[in-house]
Amino acid sequence: MRVVIAEDQALLRDGLARLFRDGGHHVVATLGDAERLLATIAQEQPELAVVDIRMPPTFTDEGARAARAIKQQHPGVGVLLLSQHIETAHAVNLVALGGFGYLLKDRVLEVGEFLATAERVAAGGSALDPMVIAHLVAPADSGPVGRLSERERGVLELMAQGLTNAAIANRLVVSERTVEAHVRHILTKLDIIDSEDGHRRVLAVLTYLHGTHT
Amino acid sequence: MLFGATLALEVVAVALSWGLEPAWDSVLNAVYAVTVAGAGALIVSRHPGHRIGWLFIADATFSVLPVDLAQGWGLRGAEQGWPAAPFAEWFALWAWIAGGPAFVLRFLLFPDGHLTRRGWAAVAWANIVGVVLFVPGYALSPDIGDLFVGDRNPYAVDGALTGVLQAVGMPLFLGSVVVAIVPLVQRLRRASGVERLQLRWFVFASVCAAVILPVVALLWSVAPVVRPLSAIALIGMPVGAAIGILRYRLYDIDVVISRTLAYGALSVVLAGTYAVTVVVIGAAVGRGSAWSTAGATLAVAAAFGPLRHRVQDAVDRRFNRARFDALQRMAGFLDDLHSGRAVPEDVEGVYRNALGVEDLHLHLFLPDSDLAVDVAGAPVADDSDDGRRRWPIRHAGASLGTVLAPADLAERGSIVPKVLDAGALAVEIARLRVGLRRQLDEVAASRARIVAAGDDERRRIERDLHDGAQQRLVSIGLALRHAQHALGPSVDPDVTRTLDDAVAEITVAIDELRELARGLRPALLDTGLGPALRDLARRAPLPVEVVANGDRYPTEVETAAYFTACEGLTNAVKHADATKVELRATRERGGLVVAVVDDGIGGAIAREGTGLAGLADRVAARGGTLRIDSGAGRGTTLVAEFPCVS
Repeated sequence: MRVVIAEDQALLRDGLARLFRDGGHHVVATLGDAERLLATIAQEQPELAVVDIRMPPTFTDEGARAARAIKQQHPGVGVLLLSQHIETAHAVNLVALGGFGYLLKDRVLEVGEFLATAERVAAGGSALDPMVIAHLVAPADSGPVGRLSERERGVLELMAQGLTNAAIANRLVVSERTVEAHVRHILTKLDIIDSEDGHRRVLAVLTYLHGTHT
Repeated sequence: MLFGATLALEVVAVALSWGLEPAWDSVLNAVYAVTVAGAGALIVSRHPGHRIGWLFIADATFSVLPVDLAQGWGLRGAEQGWPAAPFAEWFALWAWIAGGPAFVLRFLLFPDGHLTRRGWAAVAWANIVGVVLFVPGYALSPDIGDLFVGDRNPYAVDGALTGVLQAVGMPLFLGSVVVAIVPLVQRLRRASGVERLQLRWFVFASVCAAVILPVVALLWSVAPVVRPLSAIALIGMPVGAAIGILRYRLYDIDVVISRTLAYGALSVVLAGTYAVTVVVIGAAVGRGSAWSTAGATLAVAAAFGPLRHRVQDAVDRRFNRARFDALQRMAGFLDDLHSGRAVPEDVEGVYRNALGVEDLHLHLFLPDSDLAVDVAGAPVADDSDDGRRRWPIRHAGASLGTVLAPADLAERGSIVPKVLDAGALAVEIARLRVGLRRQLDEVAASRARIVAAGDDERRRIERDLHDGAQQRLVSIGLALRHAQHALGPSVDPDVTRTLDDAVAEITVAIDELRELARGLRPALLDTGLGPALRDLARRAPLPVEVVANGDRYPTEVETAAYFTACEGLTNAVKHADATKVELRATRERGGLVVAVVDDGIGGAIAREGTGLAGLADRVAARGGTLRIDSGAGRGTTLVAEFPCVS
């Protein structure tokens, strides 16, 4: 997998590059800000761009805006946005574009899981940090989400992260048929029309959660 | 030169007639001649070629002066047997009539020396014809013999002709004088501004003459003591004309008129009081008693003070409207100020209104500072070369400020300082209030700055935690993972576990730092108040309902609103024993209203040093207000309202 990394902190930038190399990937370029990011991507045509959300000059949402521009001009390039804190607005808006992921930075320390997510995003899948999902799902005891059981809420979070039924079954150590039953119940309770397409399912769930919370 | 000659010749005339007629007659005639000549000379020296000036000079040279000289020569000559004495006597009797056209022309030409319409020249011609007819008729009449020292007109012509000439000439002469007043009155009605004031001086003098002369004529033989008044009345006209044309103290005409009227009326009233008192007391204690004189004097003295005030007021009300209105307006404002219907800062507007000047500005000198400000408290620079004039406002010896207005306001005379002085007390109050308000503004601004500095500092620390310490920890974690990778799969399981534990520790540390940063100032606030409040609600240990949309407000207002919600929520959790809380952030009347409503025990008050008191300060620093409704058993409602523009 060909990767471009945009991260203003040199130490972290090098660490990320090493992480991808250790995982057998090819880091084609590393950048300290978002300025030349688009040009670099146009030139290198990577499969994945890893972008820090806060970068110079204002340290607010340069990365998020760059990510949106990348998705518009190069829809085939997966974008993984990294953040130091939970932020739902950008995350949910961008994840709707597909081939997009949003993770807290410390997720990189769970190397295996992080690389798996990165590969999923590069392949056109979606990923939202579990903390962001939790943020959208909470407060647990109010609204329609409050009608879900504890187990159903867990399944909903994994659905929103973009996991397939099989992956959810694997994660929760239950049979795939059980997961299917949970999903059916959840979608019924939330009035969401089911779709076999995993990405569209994520979108439906996210749109639902987002819509009830803003 | 002509004036000097006139003066010298008049001295001669007085000397000639001295002792042969009443002294006042000689002197006043001379004074009149000198006044006319002086007025003419003054006008011509300032405005060479001004017709009125030359008219006065001609009048003095060819009519008044020859008459006075002839009078003196005639009187002295008759006594000393000088030659041509009867002729001089005779000449003096009629020559003054020849000055009539000059008299008429004064009315027709004042103040600019031009006729209002060519047609009015006919009036002057009529007067000249009248003079031509009347003079021979009068001079040759045998009926004026008793005016001569020898009781006989030496040039008398017998026959009806003189009577006819007089009968035709006199009405023409007098009638043209009366008609000549018409264009003057027309001018007065049409005139405005300076010309109107010029005319008023002259008309005022003419009216005085018109009032005094008939009265004097009536009393001529009854009370000879009033005779000198006629000369005084006549002197007034050239003086009034000269003032009008030279524009000297032009604007004080109102004061002169008002004082004249007031003291005239006062004299009449006091004289009446005196006479009535004398009669009444005289009837009681006997005529001629010293008691009646003393009583009358006392009555007059007692009546003078209050009467003077009333009469002056009545005169001002009727004849000096501008002055009366101006002072009245100021008095009304001070009254309103006293009863709370007006604020002292309105004094600038009252000055403008009372003096009728829009371009008038009041600069206040702030107490204990060199700063000059306007009534709104904004500092003003005084560019002293801007052509405006400055009037100082003083009260009890202190300099309170300056009034700046166009320089021509000064021409309005004494009314300006009078009105400005009348408002000095209001200026003093306005000055103190503006000073106080500026200090309060300064305090509020410094409080806002302190809170803003605190918020900025929180923001900076939050950034430092996120972008500094947290990132560094992630980097260290990544280094450990790299080391783990480099060691390969065949490594001692203890090493793997140690590294895994270290990374887990780092993850926990990052979480803790994230929580710490969030408590300082949630980064979520960058995306809006709604998301930040929902995050707050999610972390709360009790059900919290959030009502907020995606509206954005100024950053500092959102920060203050967020901490209001935090404090209200903390209070509900810690002290209120609440089971649920509602957080509301809504836009109302352009501002932001944040409400925290719980169903707890209530009884919360913002005591000194408590979180709620600090919150009130924080809200006030943003120009907002904090309201706490927390009756026992009714739950607590905390409402903060912030004014905002966006």
